[in-house]
Amino acid sequence: MRLVVDLNRCQGYAQCAFLAPDVFAMHGEESLLYNPHAEEAQREQVLRAATACPVQAILVEDTDEAPATMGEGLSGVR
Amino acid sequence: MTQEMLLRQIIDYANRADPYPLYTELRKKPVRQEGDELFVVSTYWEIKSLLHDPRISSDARNLSPGAAGTLLQEEEDSPLPPAFLRLDPPEHDRLRRMAMRPFGPPETPRRVYNMRGELARIVDDLIDGFGDRKEVDIVDDFSYPFPVTVICRLLGIPREDEARFHSWADIIAAGLDPDPGGDPGEQRRATHEARTELGMYLSGLIDERSGAPGDDMLSALVTQQGPDGQMSRMEVLSTAALLLIAGHETTVNLITNGTLTLLRNPDVLERLRNDSRLAVPLVEELLRFEPPVQLLPQRTTLADIDIAGTTIPEGASVWLVLAAGNRDPQRFPDPDRFDPDRPDIQHLGFGSGIHNCFGAPLARLEAQLALTALAHRLDGPRLLDDPPPYRQNAVLRGPRHLNIAFDGLRS
Repeated sequence: MRLVVDLNRCQGYAQCAFLAPDVFAMHGEESLLYNPHAEEAQREQVLRAATACPVQAILVEDTDEAPATMGEGLSGVR
Repeated sequence: MTQEMLLRQIIDYANRADPYPLYTELRKKPVRQEGDELFVVSTYWEIKSLLHDPRISSDARNLSPGAAGTLLQEEEDSPLPPAFLRLDPPEHDRLRRMAMRPFGPPETPRRVYNMRGELARIVDDLIDGFGDRKEVDIVDDFSYPFPVTVICRLLGIPREDEARFHSWADIIAAGLDPDPGGDPGEQRRATHEARTELGMYLSGLIDERSGAPGDDMLSALVTQQGPDGQMSRMEVLSTAALLLIAGHETTVNLITNGTLTLLRNPDVLERLRNDSRLAVPLVEELLRFEPPVQLLPQRTTLADIDIAGTTIPEGASVWLVLAAGNRDPQRFPDPDRFDPDRPDIQHLGFGSGIHNCFGAPLARLEAQLALTALAHRLDGPRLLDDPPPYRQNAVLRGPRHLNIAFDGLRS
């Protein structure tokens, strides 16, 4: 599944890193790292994280058609 | 209706079951002056902007003499120093960061996540405990014991001591009420005594854990050595007391308010029963619709602040009525409707800005699990009293009892 975090919006509330720690990780207090191609098995946790985000910065693709691809590393240092 | 009367009515216990029409009145003037030194803010954007304004302080020592000692006196001569809830940067940041180290990211990202299984077990055990009964009190039998057990385990309070904890926490939380009812002197004395006893108890536990640390948060607070150094003993004490009280009083109300709201909206309950994924947006909407912390009465201004055509002078007491902001029609369409399908739900239920709820991820998880389990396991649940009897407290608002009947339990 694909997802994008709007890092201009992100304010480091870290709710996603609590709720989906396999996909989102805090680097220090304010920088967020995340996997933009999370495994499909993470969908439920990712949706929890997206819903809980206080600034609604997490965009998740709607369909689950694309098979999960891993190994593209983390992205999103700010 | 005069302004003065409006605030009185909100605090008045007679309006506890439904304060929302009063909040609608309140929002007609976004920033209301009440007497010389108290300002009440009730609209979404004004609250949000003040929550993100560094000229707003949470430290009671910044109140002017006239504003201090008016309505909230609970922490005057407290035996414990203020915890990060009642501090400003940089002290707030340092202590909150140190409290976060053993609780969440970046250092401990999986503490809450890994509790999911245990949380689900506690919930199921409590529902099993309903036994053959066809009527229960959701507060006493479910939504109180659940988060309280969780916070005690998280902190590492021995099970045999949990009951003593409950009584201290109850007394201290009652002290946070602007109008606790009864004799205010007696109330303050009781609160002071409970804080002292809690402090002494925690102090003994800290001695124990510093010698033989466990995997619990209290041990971590006592022993941690990080970039911020170590917490002093008094800092550990007040941080632990804060987490304990916050963990007691707020999630209880979130779960109880959620049960009440679901039973008032049987179509949503039915949907949750068929699809547990609904629990996630449902809890967010609940935090908007019936927030467990209705208002923040403990902020003050560090400078004169111009907002919504009013100047709040330096040192004034500022009340931010989160529950009124959450129903602001300028922010949320059809705000008095409970609608878990809202596409846009940036509620104020956990506050916002630097003091945003420390335990939010845990509270979310607890409420999601608790409400899903009730929806799945109760057959034909219905309210026995609507509205139910409420607690006295206008700030930490929630039912004291929630008596329900049902036809049986599903496995």
